[in-house]
Amino acid sequence: MRVTHWVNFVAIVIMVGSGLRIFNAYPAFARKGEIFCCYPFEHKPIPVWLTFGGWLGGARHWHFAMMWVLVVNGLIYIAFIYLTGEWRDLAPRKGDIRDSWQMIKFYTFTRKDHPHQGKHNALQKSAYFLMPFAAALAVLTGIAIWKPVQLSWLTAIFGGYVWARYWHFIAMLAIVILSVVHVFMVFAVDPYSLTSMITGNYDPSLSPEARNARPFYHLFPKRSKVAASPPPPPSPPPPAQAT
Amino acid sequence: MTIDRRKLITIDGIDGCDIDRRDFLIRGGAIVSTAFLAACDSGGPKSADKLLKHAERKNIVVERELFRHTAMDAVQRGAHDAGNKLPSYYISPTVPTWDESVRGKWALEVSGLVGNPVRLTLEDLQKLPQVSNRVNHYCVEGWTAVETWTGVPFSELARLVRADPRAGFVDFQSFDEDYHESWDIESAMHKQTVIAYGLDGKMLEPAHGAPARVYSPVKLGYKNTKYLTKIVFMPQANGGYWTDRGYEWYGGV
Repeated sequence: MRVTHWVNFVAIVIMVGSGLRIFNAYPAFARKGEIFCCYPFEHKPIPVWLTFGGWLGGARHWHFAMMWVLVVNGLIYIAFIYLTGEWRDLAPRKGDIRDSWQMIKFYTFTRKDHPHQGKHNALQKSAYFLMPFAAALAVLTGIAIWKPVQLSWLTAIFGGYVWARYWHFIAMLAIVILSVVHVFMVFAVDPYSLTSMITGNYDPSLSPEARNARPFYHLFPKRSKVAASPPPPPSPPPPAQAT
Repeated sequence: MTIDRRKLITIDGIDGCDIDRRDFLIRGGAIVSTAFLAACDSGGPKSADKLLKHAERKNIVVERELFRHTAMDAVQRGAHDAGNKLPSYYISPTVPTWDESVRGKWALEVSGLVGNPVRLTLEDLQKLPQVSNRVNHYCVEGWTAVETWTGVPFSELARLVRADPRAGFVDFQSFDEDYHESWDIESAMHKQTVIAYGLDGKMLEPAHGAPARVYSPVKLGYKNTKYLTKIVFMPQANGGYWTDRGYEWYGGV
């Protein structure tokens, strides 16, 4: 499980980097002689430092090799969370939307105490739940633009080559956004979880819930401590009974 | 029959055929091919190259397995023709043109593992069964363009020359410097693969490969050799211009 996480990390970094290098060979979506409606940066290349593979041919070799690692690793991950029942920690449940809203309120300082959570908080859970779907979309749209003639039925599902290429890009963006937020939160909210990502051990007394941790919680240490345990307000006296 | 095409060439003034031209401009100038070829590795750790080569070989197996003669390219409804927006790439310093006063009449030689090798003039080609396919052009760079290609289905030529069943590969050679690309026979025999002499209802222009070129939507642009001179049936593949410079040999879509 933890192995798939780090394999995934390497695979995603290389897939995104080489994918952006491939994209830079034609950083637009329009068919020749047409205009594309829905991408504001047509013909503006991605900054080179974000790309991997050096040149189009090299990036393609990386992309077409690493895709197998990504797919096999993804299947192992899915099989693993299914067989161990860990998928239950990620499956959406009633109340997740309410809990997510409470997490947003907590992170934006409109709620003082960290909402109660299970293994993951509600926002985190949605992110981890969405990730495999974004990855699946990336893989399917990827196959669609790899074999638009031989597997034209698949390409057609995504609206043809031009749109399949677009959805492939969007899926990549979704994966990147989820990953960047994930990494940010690990360092800003729960750096202790790094231990668990590597060794598998987790000290619950250091959990964000136990520490009432917001992003960069250590920059506002006192505020949450004080607010953590105010005495419950006395309940109003029962109304005097009318006689 | 295989021709050693590994002679050194300079890339001065190369225009790039269906390749990322930005790379060429960046790497351009007076670099000779040794430096050029060195630049054509994976761009990652050297040890990765072997792994990537291995992956490419496995991918070729998968891709040839996926290949179906019945899988046809179809242009999406509402798609516009690229017309003069179709880019024209070649590797010679200027548009390659066949000068009859110097080279004599142009003819396409079809030879190799065949029972009946032929030399066909443009008129001969035009007398053979003709098809017009409105199809997509898939460039390795990621763009597509809709065009109508008119010419002889490759399968007709193969029948004409009585291609040997042992010929598993075909090499398409040109007079655009030493440009050539070899194909697997099944992609060449695909119904939409034509030896094209017409584009969008007109005779092919020099910019797009006149007098004749191979055109098929089942291969990426760089596999579709322009300025044809020779089609050679072979028992083995012999790489190709861009293939030798680091693009995938199969280049199939």
